[in-house]
Amino acid sequence: MASKGGAAPSTYTHAPTNKTRRPPFFPDSDVDWLRSDGRGFHQCRPAFFRTGAVNSAAGSAYAESGKTKVIVSVFGPKESKKAMMYSDTGRLNCNVSYTTFATTVRGHGSENKEFSTMLHKALEGAIVLESFPKTTVDVFALVLESGGSDLPVVISCASLALADAGITMYDLVAGASVSCLGRNLIIDPISEEESFQDGSLMITCMPCHYEVTQLTITGKWSTANLNEAMQLCLDACSKLAKIMRSCLKEAASASKD
Amino acid sequence: MESERDDGRSPSQLRPLSCARNVLHRAHGSASWSQGDTKVLAAVYGPKAGTKKNENPEKACIEVIWKPKTGQIGKQEKEFEMILKRTLQSICILTLNPNTTTSIIVQVVNDDGALLVCAINAACAALIDAGIPLKHLAVAICCCLAEGGYVILDPTKLEEQKMRGFAYLVFPNSVVSVLPKGLSHVEGEPMEHGIITSVTHGVMSVEEYLKCLERGRAASTKLSDLLRRSMQSQLPSDSSKAA
Amino acid sequence: MGLPDASGDLSSEMEVDAFRRLFPLRYFERHLSESIRPDARPLGRARDTTLALGAVASAHGSALAKIGSTTMLAAIKMEVMTPFNRVTGRRLHWPAEAAPVISKQLSDTISSSGMINLKELSLVSGKAAWMAYLDIYCLDADGALFDAALLSAVAAFSHLQIPIVSLNDDGKIELISEEDDGAKLEVEPVNKEKRKLTLSSIPFSLTCILHKNYILADPTAEEESIMETAVTVVLDSSSRLVSFYKPGGPVLAHTSAVQDCVALTRQRVKELQNILDETLSGMEID
Repeated sequence: MASKGGAAPSTYTHAPTNKTRRPPFFPDSDVDWLRSDGRGFHQCRPAFFRTGAVNSAAGSAYAESGKTKVIVSVFGPKESKKAMMYSDTGRLNCNVSYTTFATTVRGHGSENKEFSTMLHKALEGAIVLESFPKTTVDVFALVLESGGSDLPVVISCASLALADAGITMYDLVAGASVSCLGRNLIIDPISEEESFQDGSLMITCMPCHYEVTQLTITGKWSTANLNEAMQLCLDACSKLAKIMRSCLKEAASASKD
Repeated sequence: MESERDDGRSPSQLRPLSCARNVLHRAHGSASWSQGDTKVLAAVYGPKAGTKKNENPEKACIEVIWKPKTGQIGKQEKEFEMILKRTLQSICILTLNPNTTTSIIVQVVNDDGALLVCAINAACAALIDAGIPLKHLAVAICCCLAEGGYVILDPTKLEEQKMRGFAYLVFPNSVVSVLPKGLSHVEGEPMEHGIITSVTHGVMSVEEYLKCLERGRAASTKLSDLLRRSMQSQLPSDSSKAA
Repeated sequence: MGLPDASGDLSSEMEVDAFRRLFPLRYFERHLSESIRPDARPLGRARDTTLALGAVASAHGSALAKIGSTTMLAAIKMEVMTPFNRVTGRRLHWPAEAAPVISKQLSDTISSSGMINLKELSLVSGKAAWMAYLDIYCLDADGALFDAALLSAVAAFSHLQIPIVSLNDDGKIELISEEDDGAKLEVEPVNKEKRKLTLSSIPFSLTCILHKNYILADPTAEEESIMETAVTVVLDSSSRLVSFYKPGGPVLAHTSAVQDCVALTRQRVKELQNILDETLSGMEID
């Protein structure tokens, strides 16, 4: 019997049995419920950043936000491939990959193929590409563990790694996302919350300039909710940028000593 | 204690060897090498101008392409390619033709044990045939470690599977030199006792490994004599062809 | 210009950094003749090694191994499979060229060392067994990649906690989550006792560079690129030889060099065994 079930794929994983229980969300009521990690709706997970995690790269950064763990390495600027046309501005090459053990079910991380292009678009606007003509900067992001809100963490971490590599930027890019669950807006959702969301919004911005580099909205949103969510994200971004900035300052003062 | 082998050989007896050079006429150099039923064909093209990306253009580049008997190449073949490449790199004089690439294509004709060893010997003979300058030859041998702790040489595929462990060893050939004997010695050992390549599988004690080395060295002398003889016998015909 | 002899004279006038870049081999040889390496290590000393277990919460066993700045992250995920059981070794990410070869070397080493008793991975005899997926990511590459990969793999296996499972009514294996164990256990767990693998003879390795008569243990990437002859020796905890791996290289390994490499590895195995034991016992206290 067991062999029949497992015939097509040779192995299988079962989600733990309690996963099938829906969390107590009541989409149409205002009944208070708690987030599984005990946070308030408008409270972000504690974020941790560190630069210089990888010695062999020109610049690198490690970011941890709750269970989400990301490492980003930046290589270059180096000579563009010969096949590419001459260009006055530099090129940015981004790649986001997941480790096979990042998600609860092995190898599910490869579903997020569009993350590479999204990372590229989020960073492109912040980098002074004119400062390295004819050359390419490679940004490799590896999600070591996925715990929800992966892309905003990847983007923030990547901008920090770029700064660590000494690439000229207009400002750091910080990212945050908000999930819409019924009438409630929750910021910085974990994977479980993301799987039950009705809609999601992600903003990456340069807080000093108050400029948005990327905005993605999916799912069902009311205009009022949308405005509130955007404001929430922008606030979170500016707070996040402060943490990132202090991390850079710490690294700089440590290297001076 | 030393038991008879399935094909009636004594433990340190090699299978019948044969080596033929210049078997392909489009290649710049070629050789076929067989040990019993294991047979490998090697062809050398080059040196051609230019090196591949990520290779040092100040040195000659060696490229090895492994063609299995059937199917596509997997991890095993990739490892063979790498070992073969590194082994041949160490016997070629790479500074002589900088910024060139020499390709060695190894085609497995039949695999009956000691495949990598056979391929290294074939590639070496093909390099000679192509006239690529070499520091010395490489002689490869496979030593197997049987359950009782004794060493058998040049195993067949069946023997390879039954054994506790085996070692592929590559030695330089014995050099005929006009220098006094002591000069080519390193720390009291003749040059041909040094290992170019060693790959082992299975668990053994260090003493057993050293025993394998000793037996391998003894056998490699015989092999290198054969290689030398096969080279000399074919030389006159080569020169007459050129004339 | 640039003749090898000229460099000897230039070394006194040139800046150290320039000399290092222009004549890397000379630079190293001058250090070696003083029995020291540019990073202030004696020739036979390996770099500082650290291990962290349980780095990845989503995996069943994981370890982060750091040798100098070479960093490897290994994680094991267990899945249920039906007919046979196998341990797959895989290695991904960076540096691409070396990946398939190291991966092959690693799975060969783990399987031939007999570290894992495959019978322990069996769940219901003949019907279900565990498949252990081992994935190793190289986060930072600075020489001795195989050593770090093997160390992280071994540590991940010793950290591995096999999840508790039960047979449901359809004869399928189901996971029992940690929280509600004991509470509603109408189903009997299949593997209450077998939560850890007993690793019998753990293999450890040391890569050495041979250059002239010098033997340099645990090379950095720079040393590997300048002096090309590398020897990797794998010994298990009872000092048996699991692998003696020397893929070519311009320097020949004579018997004395073979014995020296093995002796260095013996020392290193003791060091690594201590590091692993300490890390494991540190975990139990927490």
